[in-house]
Amino acid sequence: MNTSSSANTMVWLVRREFWENRAIWMLPAVIGGLLILAALFGTYQVLGAADLATVQAVVQAGAVDGMLMIVILFFIVMSIYSTWYLLDCLYADRKDRSILFWKSLPITDTATVLCKLGVALIVIPCIYFAIADATTLLVSFIVSVRASTYVGGSLWHASNWIGIQGLWLYLIVTSAVWYLPLAGWLLVVSAWAKRAVMLWSILPPVAVILAERLLIGTHVLASELGERLGGYFAQAFQYTPGDANWVVTGIPDHGSITTPVSVLRFVNLEGFFSSPETWIGAVVGVALIAAAVQLRIRRTET
Amino acid sequence: MTTLIEARDLTKKYGKHTALDRASFNVEPGRIVGLIGPNGAGKTSALRAILGLTTYEGRLSVLGHEPFRERAALMHDACFIADVAVLPSWLMVDQAIDFVAGVHPRFRRDRATALLAKTNVTGKRRMHELSKGMKTQVHLALTMAIDAQLLVLDEPTLGLDILARRAFYDALVNDYMDETRTILITTHQVEEIENLLTDVLFIEKGRIVLDSSLEEIATRYAAVAVTADRLDAARAERPFYERRMLGKVILYFENPDHQKLAEFGELHTPTVSDLFVAKLSGAAQ
Repeated sequence: MNTSSSANTMVWLVRREFWENRAIWMLPAVIGGLLILAALFGTYQVLGAADLATVQAVVQAGAVDGMLMIVILFFIVMSIYSTWYLLDCLYADRKDRSILFWKSLPITDTATVLCKLGVALIVIPCIYFAIADATTLLVSFIVSVRASTYVGGSLWHASNWIGIQGLWLYLIVTSAVWYLPLAGWLLVVSAWAKRAVMLWSILPPVAVILAERLLIGTHVLASELGERLGGYFAQAFQYTPGDANWVVTGIPDHGSITTPVSVLRFVNLEGFFSSPETWIGAVVGVALIAAAVQLRIRRTET
Repeated sequence: MTTLIEARDLTKKYGKHTALDRASFNVEPGRIVGLIGPNGAGKTSALRAILGLTTYEGRLSVLGHEPFRERAALMHDACFIADVAVLPSWLMVDQAIDFVAGVHPRFRRDRATALLAKTNVTGKRRMHELSKGMKTQVHLALTMAIDAQLLVLDEPTLGLDILARRAFYDALVNDYMDETRTILITTHQVEEIENLLTDVLFIEKGRIVLDSSLEEIATRYAAVAVTADRLDAARAERPFYERRMLGKVILYFENPDHQKLAEFGELHTPTVSDLFVAKLSGAAQ
């Protein structure tokens, strides 16, 4: 197959994933829609009886926090959805036996697996990014209009917006690299399990952890897995409370509010990409993905 | 033209069970070959191996490809409908056509739409909304619109009523088949396809027990209906199978002496289904 026809096949494979999994865009669209509805019809409540100047100061200082909240909400939902997607993507067509239709077409199993991986790690995050951005834009606009007295132009600082775009790109790239071994493992289970993919994704690691603890008395795997699953933010970001990355805004009669100078200050680009853990994980991930391809070639039945 | 499928000592084992036991056969271009055998004889294993869906031992070449290693390349020139294959429930008919047109260089959209126009299926329907027969028609339209050198059909008309089955086989022979194509087909309804076959492969317990063209069958096998009074004399000619019918006994002979056998009654060439029953039951008698 030449390059142009395999690129063309990839486009069709991705389109296919959208046909099959409409939740790829419907789920973030619904969340965005709910946030916009809340902004449109919700009641805003700010600091009870505080005076106008105080409220303005809080909104001014906390605008970036609000934008971050939206990023975090979308990122969490995306992580859960992508996990489910990876677990299901090589299992669903074995379960309904349509795999034999897909395998009757001139598409390599490598292309199929890599396409699904790419959808999970690149396409889905980009869609969440776009919808989260659109949501933030609309919510900011609605809030600025509905509460113009308090909010004024404080939601429209260019630096905040650029920071959020940068943060999304950084999140997409680093989480894809960091979670590559997890994605590979989910693909292996999805390509292999005869049923109960969820159970099979959890049981073997738990069994090995227990065996290690009972037989050898150590817990290397448990701590490695814990580090991988929970260690992403510690690896990709750095922050120390109270240092120069934070701005403390004093608010008369209400103490103060602490906000980040810029969200990009916490990005640990160099640290992340120079860490051996990042690359060891990536190598394990690539090996697991290769295993998933081999399983996909061999397994046509559930 | 060169041989299309060449299998030598094709063997497939599932644990201790041997599904294919050193099966050897050739399929030549331009033929319609029926792979016929009882349940569990190894038909599906053979087709799976030919289509690159499973590993195997022995040597197998399909259109010059080694199927298991080169399935995607093979599917440029071969297509198949497997018995259990179903189109995914979420897929729309139009999407199915778009997708195959997008990824298959040999797919002819006009032919697929022309074939579908003859059915009651419309483009916006999803597969889960269609009856089993309609789904099969969509699948057949998609597959027959591919300009493939080899078409493999595993129980293609399962779930279709007799009108749709007849229409399918008519279309296969009249619209689809030409000298550039080869069809390998399995079905339980042997009677329905025996008129269109040019060759048969009988398979039993993973072994090929008969590999023959229909012309060869006519010279190699004969059946004769014998009345009871001549039965012992006819039996002396060593039939390999006999079957009682309406007071007569039909005797089946391999490599018959036509002149001699004609003395016992009228000779005829057994149908594929009769020969199949005779061959397989004869071995047991």
